[in-house]
Amino acid sequence: MSFLTATDITVRDGAQTLLEPLSLTVTPGEPLIILGETGSGKSLMAQAIMGTLPAGLRAQGEVRIGAHTLSASEPRRFRGLWGREISVLPQEPWLSLDPLMRAGTQVTEAHRLVRGLSAADAKARASSDLGQLGLTAAARHYPHQLSGGMAQRVAIAAARAGGAGIVIADEPTKGLDAARRDDVADLLLSEMGDNGGLLVITHDLALARRMGGQMIVLRQGKVVETGATETVMSAAREAYTRALLAADPESWTRRAPSRRDGPPVVDVHGLSVARGGRELFSGVGFDVAAGGVFGITGPSGCGKSTLGDAVLGLVAPAAGTVTRRADIGPHGFQKLYQDPVAAFPRKRRLGETLNDVARMTGESARVAPLLEQLGLSPTLLERRPGAVSGGELQRLSILRALLRRPALIFADEPTSRLDPITQARVIGMLGEIAMTEGTAILLVSHDAALVRNTADAVLPLGKTVLPEPQPDAASVATAPH
Amino acid sequence: MKALTSRLVQAVVVAVLIGTATFVMMRSLPGDAAWRIAAGRYGYDNVDAAAAEAVRSELGLDGPALPALLQWLGDLLTLDFGTSLVSGQPVMHEIAHQLGASAALAGIALLLSVLIGPPLGILAGLRPGGVLDRCLLVVSTGLKAVPQFLLALILIVLLAVQLRLLPAAGHGEARHFILPSLTLALGLAAVNARIARDAMARIADMPFWRFAEWKGLSRREVLMRHGLRNVSVPLLTYLGLQFVTLVEGVVVIEAIFGWPGIGHALVHAIFSRDVPMVQGTALVLGLGFVLVNTCIDLIVRRIDPRGETEARA
Repeated sequence: MSFLTATDITVRDGAQTLLEPLSLTVTPGEPLIILGETGSGKSLMAQAIMGTLPAGLRAQGEVRIGAHTLSASEPRRFRGLWGREISVLPQEPWLSLDPLMRAGTQVTEAHRLVRGLSAADAKARASSDLGQLGLTAAARHYPHQLSGGMAQRVAIAAARAGGAGIVIADEPTKGLDAARRDDVADLLLSEMGDNGGLLVITHDLALARRMGGQMIVLRQGKVVETGATETVMSAAREAYTRALLAADPESWTRRAPSRRDGPPVVDVHGLSVARGGRELFSGVGFDVAAGGVFGITGPSGCGKSTLGDAVLGLVAPAAGTVTRRADIGPHGFQKLYQDPVAAFPRKRRLGETLNDVARMTGESARVAPLLEQLGLSPTLLERRPGAVSGGELQRLSILRALLRRPALIFADEPTSRLDPITQARVIGMLGEIAMTEGTAILLVSHDAALVRNTADAVLPLGKTVLPEPQPDAASVATAPH
Repeated sequence: MKALTSRLVQAVVVAVLIGTATFVMMRSLPGDAAWRIAAGRYGYDNVDAAAAEAVRSELGLDGPALPALLQWLGDLLTLDFGTSLVSGQPVMHEIAHQLGASAALAGIALLLSVLIGPPLGILAGLRPGGVLDRCLLVVSTGLKAVPQFLLALILIVLLAVQLRLLPAAGHGEARHFILPSLTLALGLAAVNARIARDAMARIADMPFWRFAEWKGLSRREVLMRHGLRNVSVPLLTYLGLQFVTLVEGVVVIEAIFGWPGIGHALVHAIFSRDVPMVQGTALVLGLGFVLVNTCIDLIVRRIDPRGETEARA
């Protein structure tokens, strides 16, 4: 018996085909992973079988959910199945809970209104659901009082309360650190049980590996490869799949440590930073030499980005010192932001933005060689930020920072919005820049493997992080206490 | 608690500022105050130099300004608003008498505006760019652009003079409420419809709205359970600020429709240089603004617990 069968699903935007005919079957007790980069059509596929495609896109094909057979071209008819047959675990659970309603009520209402239980029964069911997820106390809380992990579990309970057998999880680990990612994977598997259907849409290879089951690899709206997740991940048949797997930070080869000479660009001693009256970390000390890559890693909320801001002097330390080399002006310290789209003015052409910086620094002649070095086409400069991919935009922001000839670049989660292949490229370039330009790189990422394989020295922040092996014996990093 | 203390401090500051400002403004108005007060007491036709002189010496209008102001502020501490220079009645008594009529008009206008504006705004916000949304934009912008006195005159000409459906002015019967409260309500609704529309459009675009639908709730259930509560927070906050518009409107509208309220009284007090009346009236309106916003703060805090916890953290 299969829960969900989709046959020949296509998605078109006018004459352009975004998703070529795709068929899939979700069987009870076995997760189906749709793996692909941004723009591979994996989310469109999920939207097509949920009937939630954005206006203007047209889907075709047949979707069978339980005893219902629907046409993907009639999205309105899907609404009746939401919550009852098929439910979605949203990308950002925190934003997916009503901020003004208690967590318990958000689960109860689905039991009451969707499943049709009486008020008392619905309440009892909701508290037993939450109890099973270890959230007994959280029922009375509002979403802002929940941690990200608790919000995720409340969202799972709420999504399933209507009695849906099939759960679609769309990038359930977006922006999570490794420990939380594994929690989510385990939770999804245990919630699915032996009888539930689970469709996971992700670009996260570690998540896919942990979930197992079946896998479909998508690229540019086409199926590249299908098979058992384990088989695909250990012995991929297609070159693209192998490239995608090789881009996983876990399987990167470690970058050769850079030569460290000359006085450090920044020297940090006994640094403590507090935010909102709470101490984020204390007693942190390290230095970064010219041409060195220094990595900071840790779970979300541990203060790793704040540490980087303190190094730049954007955040005042509560105690300790940050000494920036005296001969470097303030512009010698640059920051690379997490979301490249937000780091460019939305309505100006990229070339105009870059020219402003180049004119100010008198480095106009460097734009063309840097474009080439970063593998960017000059035609991108004619476009606006919205019309350029995230990877290209992040490389353009590296270029913009380099026009300042910085002594240090603080890269704050520079690839968390990029797909794995692009991520590998961008991080590789940062390493190269450290080497060729002698720029010190302060790399902050929640991905311990990425940092471990890129940095000369790593500082793990936060309690829940497992101690990372210090790759460089001569590293001067001192762990916070 | 902390918020209440700060509101209390705000109320005191408002009282001192309003009292001082009205006093200074009344003193610096051109013309002879004694003549105006005498005119207010005995009527314009019965005023002569002797009557004005009598008033001047009785009230000590030639005296220095500062002691007079300090005297007023001191009396205020004992909740004594003074007596009207024209009627000789305690100001408190006069205001209490007029405030009722104004509060009834303002209350009905507010109720009417909340019945007209937010429902239309919410419907428009559910389909941004739809027919209703575009029509509402045009109508509300138009209404907002028309000054209230003009709107009042248009309504009078249309409904009272041309169609003879309603009385153009007056007070005492239920039908006398319709035109003035409608004029006020349209001005208020024009703006709070926009606020509701923007809040609704923003909320319907949030992930939790989508998620509520995915849980299986019907459109109606999503709106009733997740939409209204979230829209109410910015809307209530805005209604508190609209109190200013309402007071402004009440002053103009009462003058036009001959409504015996606080706005009407304020205008007359200014004409006849009845300083204690002006001070008292402005003070009641200013403190009313603080009171209304304090109440709204408390209600919003009850609906939206987020701010409270952040303050505690």
